[in-house]
Amino acid sequence: MEAGSATTPRGRLSWRLWAVVPVLLLALVVGAVVTAGSSLVDLVGSNPPPADRFDIRRVEFSAGEIRILVRNPQRDDLTIANVNVDDAIVPYTVDGRTTLGRLRSATILVPFQWVENDPITVGVTSSTGIQTVKEVPAAVETPEPSVQGFFGYALIGLLVGVLPIALGLLWLPALRQAGPVWLATFMAFTAGLLTFLGVEALTESFELQAALPSSLGGAGLVLLGVALSFLGMTALAGRLTGGSEATGVTLALLIAIGIGLHNLGEGLAIGASFALGELQLGAFLIVGFMIHNVTEGLGIATPVAKTRIGVLALGGLAVIAGAPAILGAWIGGYLSNDVLGALFFAIAAGAALQVVVEVSRYVARTAPGGLRSGHAIAGFIVGIATMYVTGVLVA
Amino acid sequence: MTKTRLTRGKLLAAAAPLAAAPLVGKFALEAEASPTGAHDHAGHAQHRSPQNHIEGSIGHAAMVGPEAPAVGGPTDLDMLLYPPPALPYSPGRVREYNLTATDVELEVAPGVFFPAWVYNGTAPGPVIRATEGDLLRVRLVNAGTHPHTIHFHGIHPTNMDGVFQIVEPGGHFTYEFEARPAGMQLYHCHSTPLKKHIHKGLHGAFIIDPKKPRPPATELVMVMNGFDTDGDGENNFYTVNGRSFYYARYPIRVKRSELVRIYLANLTEFDLINSFHLHADFFRYQPTGTGDNWEYTDTVMQCQGQRGVIEIQFTGTGLHMFHAHQSEFAELGWMGFFDVVE
Repeated sequence: MEAGSATTPRGRLSWRLWAVVPVLLLALVVGAVVTAGSSLVDLVGSNPPPADRFDIRRVEFSAGEIRILVRNPQRDDLTIANVNVDDAIVPYTVDGRTTLGRLRSATILVPFQWVENDPITVGVTSSTGIQTVKEVPAAVETPEPSVQGFFGYALIGLLVGVLPIALGLLWLPALRQAGPVWLATFMAFTAGLLTFLGVEALTESFELQAALPSSLGGAGLVLLGVALSFLGMTALAGRLTGGSEATGVTLALLIAIGIGLHNLGEGLAIGASFALGELQLGAFLIVGFMIHNVTEGLGIATPVAKTRIGVLALGGLAVIAGAPAILGAWIGGYLSNDVLGALFFAIAAGAALQVVVEVSRYVARTAPGGLRSGHAIAGFIVGIATMYVTGVLVA
Repeated sequence: MTKTRLTRGKLLAAAAPLAAAPLVGKFALEAEASPTGAHDHAGHAQHRSPQNHIEGSIGHAAMVGPEAPAVGGPTDLDMLLYPPPALPYSPGRVREYNLTATDVELEVAPGVFFPAWVYNGTAPGPVIRATEGDLLRVRLVNAGTHPHTIHFHGIHPTNMDGVFQIVEPGGHFTYEFEARPAGMQLYHCHSTPLKKHIHKGLHGAFIIDPKKPRPPATELVMVMNGFDTDGDGENNFYTVNGRSFYYARYPIRVKRSELVRIYLANLTEFDLINSFHLHADFFRYQPTGTGDNWEYTDTVMQCQGQRGVIEIQFTGTGLHMFHAHQSEFAELGWMGFFDVVE
């Protein structure tokens, strides 16, 4: 390497020229294959016809109308030629073009007197006669964007996100009295809690991407989200601490961000499921989320147990960790972007798992006996178990 | 199968621009749309009784005129709806028909194309008509890609039955037999797999007129069928004479003063039965078009292969709905109207 004096201007130029050669050759080969067209396929057989199935993304109901959001998930064009509701041909209009290019979407508007709470089946038929059917378990009016609904989602987000975390932060006075062993145990508990949230978000992300058209989904999408947030959080932690380990308020902030990103996904899931009539959003579920999330406040409070911190700063941490649930509920309730859902959960997973690393470092350094101590291990396990048990309340 | 696949793939590209244009405005729900569609004459409007005049209805079961999603123009199916005239009995007469089986893409509903197998380009195929005692010569040319036959219902030698006389692609065969007994008969391909050959469109009406002619009437042929466009063993569209909602789009104009005779047959595949129900009036039904057993009713039921003759003298004028009394079939295209005028 030392002999290769590639620092001369001429050498540098030729290095870059050579780098272009494979790209140019690839372009040539691509051109040749495209020109050859189907004759290449004819050597080995014939292509099957396109599936011609629509991706029915969302079915919305309003008084006297059904709206069907469809997407073309395949390479070939797909034309909306006929629409059925409960096995009957119905009049319809299309908001946009009826012939959809790859991954293009359209909204089909059907004037229809649907029956509340009855199951309903919508079918969209392509010009080749292939019918894609979507069963809606119960037809309920889709919430329209309204000031009331906007505040409603905000209130729900506040109840399941901000409030329980704020309550959890009120453990701080108690924590201030606790000895180092207990504090280490609670930090390990926080690591277990965050691991649970990370794995849960990762699972959710994989499930959401699996439901996407293959051209949009894939493990790559999840990996991208996880890597983005994990490395983003790493960089943020490095910047906040100036390279040293995160402690005190900084660690609390990182935990709050990790939990906040998770709550964004949680809010999104609640909003979307409710908007699609898949979720009965009762008092019981909201209470369940509150109990589930109250321990998140404990996790944020523990690192500042021995640090001076004002009430305003504590409130800020509660907002950072809890308020994203409000934002998520809005996004889920009013937008229908399933790619965003998968990506958000991947981002939540990456952030939570990165914070697990930060917390573990902290525990390793501060806990009497380090990571291998019995209370650290027990705290971690109890953290996971607590989330699992309270998770039953929201399942 | 390779050919079918390629056809389907090509079709998609070809059909896209065609299908897109009419769709957007198709269900624009013109409130003052003329219920009788393109062949309406202004002078007839006053004959319609008010209760039958549907204005701006958006219910799919009541779609009429331009609201009804049907393919083509007002006279497209005339060759199937109006049979060739009955000829008086004449001993020793020969009646010749030529049927060519082909593979075609049929537009069964607006913008929906079905890879069909057909006799003479349509599903159902052409109406074959003879008088009892005529010598029938039906020549089948197979220009399709699968082996086909014609199996006639009626009395004939077994070597003319269209079961063993398989006509390979590129081949031909002439069925020759005496037309009997008088009645409403039918014909269909009997190649295997039978279900496939019948539902893809190889079937049609076969009328044998009695030696003593039936009373003069406006004669119509209705062959009930269905199209399983996505191959899941269930019909996606139901029709009479091959296009869903066609007679809702273009109601059949008949005169109140005239006897109307309908030759009705069921060649619907997959479903056990089909039916015909007339609104606002009753009719006489002669099963298989034979014998003296006439039923007075407004609803008849037929299994696949059953057929009969309906005779109506309309009591009133206006739009008389008719449809399968399987509501599902009606809402999937098997619905139409008689526009009865003085």
